[in-house]
Amino acid sequence: MKYFIKKLITLIITLLFISMLTFAAFSVIPGDASLTKLGTDASPEQVEALREQMGLNDPMPVRYVRWLKDALRGDFGESYQYNGTAVSELLAQRLPVTVVLSVMALIIILALSIPLGIISAKHSGKWLDTFISQVTQITMAIPAFFLGILLTYIFGLVLQWFQPGKFVGLDESVSGCLKYLIYPAIAIALPKIAMVVKFLRNSVLSEVKKDYVRTAYSKGNTKNGVLYKHVLKNALIPVITFVALIIAEILAGSIIVEQVFSVPGMGRLLISSISNRDYPVVQAIVTYITAIVVIINFIVDILYQLVDPRVNAQ
Amino acid sequence: MKNILEIKDLTVGFCENTGWHQVLNKISFDIGEGEIVGIVGESGSGKSMTALTIMHLLAENAVIKEGEILFDGQDLLKCGDDRMRCVQGNDISMIFQEPMTSLNPVQKIGTQIGEALRLHTNLNNDEIQKRVIESMENVGLPKPAELAGKYPYQLSGGMRQRVMIAMASICSPKLLIADEPTTALDVTVQMQILKLLRRFHDETGTSILFISHDLNVVRALCDRVIVMYRGDIVETGDAVEVLRHPKHDYTKTLVAAIPKNTNVPVEKNPVVSVKNLNVYYNEGRHLFSASKKKKHVIKNISFDIYDGEILGVVGESGCGKSTLGKTLTGLNRDYTGEITMACKRPQMVFQDPFGSLNPAKKLGWIMEEPLKLSGIRDKKSRIAMVDQMLCQIGLDESYKNRYAHELSGGQRQRVSIGLALLAGTKFIVADEPVSALDVTVQSQILDLILDIHQKQNVTMMFISHDLNVVRGICHRVIVMYLGEIVEVAEVHEIYEHPRHPYTQLLLKAILNGDGRVPAGTKNSGKTTEEVNNEGCAYYPRCPYHSDECLFHRPEMKNAGTDKNPHLVKCYHMLTVD
Amino acid sequence: MKVKKKHNYNLIIGCVLTGILLLMAIIGQFWTPYGETEMNAAAKNMGPSLAHLMGTDNFGRDIFSRVMIGSGNTFLVALCTVAIGAVFGTIIGALTGYFGGWIDEVIMRINDVILSFPSILLALIFISLLGGGTYNIILALGVLFIPSFARIVRSEMIRCRDLDFVRSAKVMGAKSFRIIFVHILPNTWVSMLTAAMIGFNNAVLAEASMSYLGLGVQPPQASLGRMLSEAQSYLFNAPWYAIAPGIVIILIILGFSMISEGLRKIS
Repeated sequence: MKYFIKKLITLIITLLFISMLTFAAFSVIPGDASLTKLGTDASPEQVEALREQMGLNDPMPVRYVRWLKDALRGDFGESYQYNGTAVSELLAQRLPVTVVLSVMALIIILALSIPLGIISAKHSGKWLDTFISQVTQITMAIPAFFLGILLTYIFGLVLQWFQPGKFVGLDESVSGCLKYLIYPAIAIALPKIAMVVKFLRNSVLSEVKKDYVRTAYSKGNTKNGVLYKHVLKNALIPVITFVALIIAEILAGSIIVEQVFSVPGMGRLLISSISNRDYPVVQAIVTYITAIVVIINFIVDILYQLVDPRVNAQ
Repeated sequence: MKNILEIKDLTVGFCENTGWHQVLNKISFDIGEGEIVGIVGESGSGKSMTALTIMHLLAENAVIKEGEILFDGQDLLKCGDDRMRCVQGNDISMIFQEPMTSLNPVQKIGTQIGEALRLHTNLNNDEIQKRVIESMENVGLPKPAELAGKYPYQLSGGMRQRVMIAMASICSPKLLIADEPTTALDVTVQMQILKLLRRFHDETGTSILFISHDLNVVRALCDRVIVMYRGDIVETGDAVEVLRHPKHDYTKTLVAAIPKNTNVPVEKNPVVSVKNLNVYYNEGRHLFSASKKKKHVIKNISFDIYDGEILGVVGESGCGKSTLGKTLTGLNRDYTGEITMACKRPQMVFQDPFGSLNPAKKLGWIMEEPLKLSGIRDKKSRIAMVDQMLCQIGLDESYKNRYAHELSGGQRQRVSIGLALLAGTKFIVADEPVSALDVTVQSQILDLILDIHQKQNVTMMFISHDLNVVRGICHRVIVMYLGEIVEVAEVHEIYEHPRHPYTQLLLKAILNGDGRVPAGTKNSGKTTEEVNNEGCAYYPRCPYHSDECLFHRPEMKNAGTDKNPHLVKCYHMLTVD
Repeated sequence: MKVKKKHNYNLIIGCVLTGILLLMAIIGQFWTPYGETEMNAAAKNMGPSLAHLMGTDNFGRDIFSRVMIGSGNTFLVALCTVAIGAVFGTIIGALTGYFGGWIDEVIMRINDVILSFPSILLALIFISLLGGGTYNIILALGVLFIPSFARIVRSEMIRCRDLDFVRSAKVMGAKSFRIIFVHILPNTWVSMLTAAMIGFNNAVLAEASMSYLGLGVQPPQASLGRMLSEAQSYLFNAPWYAIAPGIVIILIILGFSMISEGLRKIS
């Protein structure tokens, strides 16, 4: 419990710190909301009046607190590029798509990489392991967006299993949406599968060398008995932390892959907002994504403590 | 006597890219029913390999070339994996050296002890649970029901080794193999574990194959001994007889006594003087942790080290003896009290010969470093001094171009000593300098230390847990317990007339001469849990404690003469019993 | 000690692969079969042939020439970012790791937070603030690589700090800076080299992704990522336009990752 509270406090401090940092960063960018609203040919007096009205002349800490209050209520201001649509409304449309895509990618990753990692470790040094190692090394080198392009070409253009660029919204047809998203999910997942397989394999192999494994054999355990009863729990503990990193990588991957498959998610919104200098949207997405990453790390820390009895001792 | 195990012409080796590397050369021996057989030898002699071969636990690249291992008349080398698994943990079980790492860190102790029953019997969970508790009681683990739900990291080293024994004995095996089971433990704990093994043997009649590098341990426990050297059995016979009258040359060097220090310092001229030294360690070194805990490691100690003497410091692990050494050499600055030193820059020789030399540099560079640091600018004279030192420590000039990993443990320890001398000091702190070495190398390094001590008139503080070595080479001895000095006296005085109950306990735990380990009682090591910071630190473990000890900390008193003081920190000032 | 001699194929193949690609990129800076922006209306979207080894794009530009120059840019960005990361990371990691204390705590907490984010994501945030372009990419990625180097050097420092050879140097009277840079640092080069290779790997990937998103190297300058995003519109008619730069990116990354894998086997 003490551990939980300690981690919770760290989480809140980290979140505040990051939000402060992003707020400060976006405050120093030249050109602000007043100019964008009035257009470039507005007179300085008009701009000044609007600035005063919008509270842009207040000192930064005051503006930060105001922003934070709004943000906590889910209000991130208005978008420039979509003519004053509320940022929260834009996000509400895009977020579910990205979440579905990321969860699909995560499921694919875990479902394939854990068995493959175990198989690879079990047959370490044999041809199957060498084969898996070589394939993972190559797939790790493929950038997600190039993989996306290849999938588009093979499954979209040649085999015509899906129509590239014709995204089916969740509200239109859930199954149609899932069918479309499977390709970007694979593009995100494949390089990460390789990473998890390699990590798990090395983790198992380093556990197998430890003394307690010898003890387990000396009791008369079979090879599988030792692996599943003793080694696996120890080997999976570091993997938990690694999965946090993988989730963050999935989010990053989805930003790019959404671009490849024209999926209208957060990533695509982020890129178009960056290109159009739509700062309220960029700021909101950045805050969202950082919060997600930090919270996932928090959850992983807690999970870690539940699985590994030794954490309590420290 | 019927033999439980017979090994015939066993040859084992590794197939490597460099060729065939044989580790066991046609060895043959047997173990009788109810017999305790010891195997001694230094690292690389093949003693552990023999045990692993019997248990079918060899690494995958190991090859059994020929031979047979008959257990109950059945050749273990010919039986398949399935049959072998029925033997492992059931008929033959094994205890390993490192109780720290040999238990699964994320599995509860009760589950680990009961696993063999789950594999080899059809008992249900309740029955297994009952047997586990019984077995834990048998090995003297306190509050077994509660302990069964704990994890290994929550136990001390001695308790973990008891858990290992409980685990190995739960299926009542016919043969127990113990591979250096006490090497990682303190002397006092070692004694408890040996007594436990003896009792287990006496009660069940189980045969034991006991592997150790320590002759004294083997002599005290085993009926018969097998001496191994580089994969061969060089001598075998009655344990006491073989070690008293060794026939083979190798056994002779193994048994050869620890060198004796004959040099006696004339004057008692303090070189180092320590007054009211207190040392603390920061524990909670975290930014966001509320309590900054400071652990009091050394508690108000005062002593002198005289010119030209070797002062021994003994005590079990965690008593602060290494911290004391580090503080004297300036590695630890967080202390209060006074340290006055009549010489410049005290040097230190460390325990682990593998960590004490920079792996990225050649020996020439490493040995020039102290000279550079003491301001010798001329490279030629530096090299000349290094060459000279290499000869003095028993190596030669060619070693300059080698890396530390190309040297043996003993050679590295020689270089460490040479480094200390090159720094131009007259006072060296040696922190367990021979503990990590094989017995035969140990005596060579001790010879070197004595040689340097005599020729260069170097004063030394010799920190060790090995009371036999300390007896051989030290002039005076300090006994430490939980950060305090409990007894100081001349070496003969302390070994012949120990006054403090803790010193007596330590000395009783020494295994030398022909003493045999007695069987322990079921609840050996009775302790009180009453602790009082005001009282004597040894109160909880002291068999003679009185109320006075609980409430008032005893002062250091002189029980000897003014000329040869014998200082003791105990109200009882016990005489020899 | 028993040393198992085994050919380190990863290291050899990785070095050869990286060497060939690097050579191609360097030559590309001085000579290419066709000009970087030389258009040929008569040869649009042509498949690979002897005249155009990797075919031509929608403007009739020679893809092979553009790949040579583009991979040069990629190598340059990777080299600069890794250099920034390695130099500052080593200094920060060495000092904080050796001395410890509250500064170390604070810096490492910040490091941990930064490292829990994928570098592409952070680079995007940087770019959204600084604007795109080659130099901003180098700056953003370089700064982002500092923590990973700092962490590796720091953990090596901490590992060595309590080893007896460092204690021995202290007892001899060596000053802290001498201990850090003369005694300990030579022990860390293998892990630093491994880190550098992983850094190259990430830098190449990040640069390509940024350019693909249109935030990195600006047109008409050639860039592998940018070529891929342009190729996407002509995927059906000219798949080679996408495949050529894509495979080169994969080979560059593969080369670095094989070297780092090989190095890990050495240490």
